[in-house]
Amino acid sequence: MDFKTLLKNDFILLDGAMGTLIQKSGAKYDHCPETLNLTHPELITSFHRAYIEAGADIVYTNTFGANEYKLEESGRSVEEVISAAIANAKKACEGTDTLVALDIGPIGMLLEPAGALRFEEAYEYFKRQILAGADADLIVFETMTDLYELKAAVLAAKENSDKPIIATMTYERTGRTFTGVSPASAALTLTGLGVDALGVNCSLGPDELEPVVSEMTKYTDLPLIVKANAGLPDPNSNEYSIMPERFAQCVKALLPYGVKFAGGCCGTTPEYIRELKNMLSKEAFKPCPKTADTCVCSASTVVEINGPRIIGERINPTGKKLFKQALVDNNIDYILTQALSQVSGGAEILDVNVGHPEIDEKKMMERVLKAIQSVCDAPLQIDSTKPDVLEAGLRCYNGKPIVNSVNGEEKSLSAVLPLVKKYGASVVGLTLDEGGIPKTAEGRFEIAKRIVSRAEALGIDRRDVYIDCLTLTVSAEQDACRETLRALHRVKAELGCKTCLGVSNISFGLPNRELVNSTFLTMALEEGLDLPIINPNIDAMTGAVRAYRVLSGIDKNSVEFIESYNDAAPQVKPKAQEDISLDAAVYSGLKKEGAAVTERLLENTDPMEIVNNMLIPALDKVGEGFEKGKIFLPQLIQSANTAQACFEVIKKHLSKAGGENVSKGKIILATVKGDIHDIGKNIVKVLLDNYGYTVVDLGKDVDPQLVVDTAVEQDIKMIGLSALMTTTLKSMEDTIKLVRETPELQNPDGSSKCVVFVGGAVLTKDYAMKIGADYYCRDAKESVDTAKRVLG
Amino acid sequence: MIALEPLNRNESLRYMGGAGVKLNDEMTRLMDDCEARLLRAARPKYLYKIIDLPCAELTPGEDIKRHLEGCSKAALICATLGAEVDKLIRVSQISDMARAVVLDSMASVAIEQVCRRVDALIAESLPEKFLTFRYSPGYGDYPIELQKTFLTLLDAPRKIGLSVSESCLLIPAKSVTAIAGISDKPVEKKRRGCAVCSLRETCRYRKNGDHCGF
Repeated sequence: MDFKTLLKNDFILLDGAMGTLIQKSGAKYDHCPETLNLTHPELITSFHRAYIEAGADIVYTNTFGANEYKLEESGRSVEEVISAAIANAKKACEGTDTLVALDIGPIGMLLEPAGALRFEEAYEYFKRQILAGADADLIVFETMTDLYELKAAVLAAKENSDKPIIATMTYERTGRTFTGVSPASAALTLTGLGVDALGVNCSLGPDELEPVVSEMTKYTDLPLIVKANAGLPDPNSNEYSIMPERFAQCVKALLPYGVKFAGGCCGTTPEYIRELKNMLSKEAFKPCPKTADTCVCSASTVVEINGPRIIGERINPTGKKLFKQALVDNNIDYILTQALSQVSGGAEILDVNVGHPEIDEKKMMERVLKAIQSVCDAPLQIDSTKPDVLEAGLRCYNGKPIVNSVNGEEKSLSAVLPLVKKYGASVVGLTLDEGGIPKTAEGRFEIAKRIVSRAEALGIDRRDVYIDCLTLTVSAEQDACRETLRALHRVKAELGCKTCLGVSNISFGLPNRELVNSTFLTMALEEGLDLPIINPNIDAMTGAVRAYRVLSGIDKNSVEFIESYNDAAPQVKPKAQEDISLDAAVYSGLKKEGAAVTERLLENTDPMEIVNNMLIPALDKVGEGFEKGKIFLPQLIQSANTAQACFEVIKKHLSKAGGENVSKGKIILATVKGDIHDIGKNIVKVLLDNYGYTVVDLGKDVDPQLVVDTAVEQDIKMIGLSALMTTTLKSMEDTIKLVRETPELQNPDGSSKCVVFVGGAVLTKDYAMKIGADYYCRDAKESVDTAKRVLG
Repeated sequence: MIALEPLNRNESLRYMGGAGVKLNDEMTRLMDDCEARLLRAARPKYLYKIIDLPCAELTPGEDIKRHLEGCSKAALICATLGAEVDKLIRVSQISDMARAVVLDSMASVAIEQVCRRVDALIAESLPEKFLTFRYSPGYGDYPIELQKTFLTLLDAPRKIGLSVSESCLLIPAKSVTAIAGISDKPVEKKRRGCAVCSLRETCRYRKNGDHCGF
């Protein structure tokens, strides 16, 4: 029997809990129950046999936690535990058709961004288990709470094995996993990655899983798995609340949602499996086709493209000086600010393009995607002309993204579409090819058709291909606008594809571009545009989409529209004080007033005089108040932010005048390797920024080598390191050591070019000196004092 | 599951080095807003388990032995505010650092509130017994590496989504692991105090003659 043949059955019966049987047997083990495979092989085989006798078609090996991390203290290797476990299960299966599934649970450490384990490291953990379990008939991932971890697992399985894969996650009563994954996102992402079945295990009793299962089935055509707990354990007796017969009846109620695999998790025993078998023998499997239209998602948020959805275009360096500078400086916060402001402006999906000749685009794409995912729930569109950048982005994306883009050129089709298929994404198809952009709608329609048929040949659903009929500048070619709209109409009507369009190009070279753009947008929407790529922070554009949704009957009862504009009435803000001094504005943290006063001062005061004789002293006064306990940290920060607003005004003034740079020097900041608490470092950053220093923020969990490389590349003489825990002070020491040992960072006489200052909750001055730091800074204020001393 | 009650503002102010600071309107608004957001994002969860003493594996070092003197049992405890709170603080660090600082301090107050409620629940379930205060890995000479053992014994990663990184950071960050002794006789309820605190050399409160309430 193999898995494919087994799939022809109406239902596939899985086993029940292993842990429950181990617990009941009273068998003793050191650290990990998985070591019982080696110490008590007959016992484990007897448990498998009990489930096989109860009717299980597939048994899970006793390897749930058999990974490098969890086995660490047991003294056993992944390989010996897993091969023993498979042998035990196979022995039990002898003479039957039962299949053996290599069971893999979560690693036990949380992945980035919440945790410290990198996606790539998680992949390696799973890879080792999968290679060790090559003799199993299939691979099962279960009890997962993090979709990102599960994606690493599925990729590891796909790339290191040809076995079937089934995957289940565990949900809370809120209908989400601990990390906030929705059943819909899990279904979309796993389906895209090409698993053979997906569903839910553990969680709650089967009586409470209807919301999870019914949501999943809307988003996938795959058969579903339910392997629930026997209800909830009584805290005193540890007995579970749902008895075998009722358990089976509750699972029966879930069958109409396309459930094909059934079994039991915590608290279930062979008796439960026997009851499930009885129940299933009287039922017939009914597939339950998905009902949702094409969707994209992050781990927590699904966007169904069943009407116009806004893609934010702002994360893109083209024509943006500040954005380019941010990329060169590795200023990820700048990009994150753009992401958050677009979402609050109304973007539902964000395009991410970080192409710039001066940087490593592939590394930057990974870094930026991971960072955006850590603060923003909107699904993302990975935008690059380079297939290797697209693949890097697809790998580390958590959810189902859009790839931007493929076009009709053979080179593009053969490089991009296989990636789209492998990672289960949607894709933007540009209607151009080797011959350029066809002038007519017909020409573009033909290319669209070709892209769709090539996609379908690879097994990509045509609804996941979003055709872009390309906007040309109307001031250059006036007829082109009509051709774009005609092509869009035909693609939508005849190919049944979704459509997308970058809108803003239309008005290039014209005055009042906003008016042209929003009018064109409205025309395109009426022709069937699904995904306008726009600047969502321009009200006229976002407003046109929202209004269109009302007028075309998509926004039922105008609910979304009203929500968006309900409090749009101009807010009554306290009137800015006109005659406030810069000093007072900074001290009270009044941003707008500070900026306004700075503007006025610039009319007749030298910019550097404002900085040195007004702003800095004002900040110093705040700092002093903080030291004396007169004001507290948030106030200090608000004052610093006010100073920042003033600096911005001055910078703008200077760049207009083509004058000098106000930066007082560059400083590297990093939270050391292994440490992921960086709020302290970020507070220091805000203050240094606002005193006019240029901070190169390397983030948290930073490799010592990256600190050194950055210092060398950008010729930076001052480095600030932060560590929160006693356990990570060692990394701080290592980083300082590497800085001191690097020849490029030494003067000819062997002394160090770099000044290192350190801080962090558990650090003391003595310790800081012992590990070779130049300065110990107790708080953000002292960091500024130190910077002044060193850089002036 | 525990529902949070309104947070102790003074405690939160003290964490921010602002005990005794007079709040202006803007700061009061900021604190109101942060509290509302925090209460929405928090999903407090806890686990505990009663173990028999002595237990060599869980009580290495002198400090913990002294702490559990006279106790025949102990409660292993862990609690967390959940991953959403971490995310809330992370996002705020991008958009508004002042808000992030307030949220961070309030979250510390909130997790302590959760722990006190767990203390009360345990005490309630053991009417004839007396509990010592909570002692956490990392206090005094009690090794912080024990966090992993605590979480494994409580099955915390699976049951409440609480795990620990290789450098012993609890994830989600606003979480606690602790052990409380259970005794047949009343125990001296002293404050944990600065003596066991790893921050005692650098502590701002201590320098100003105050303490963090710990």
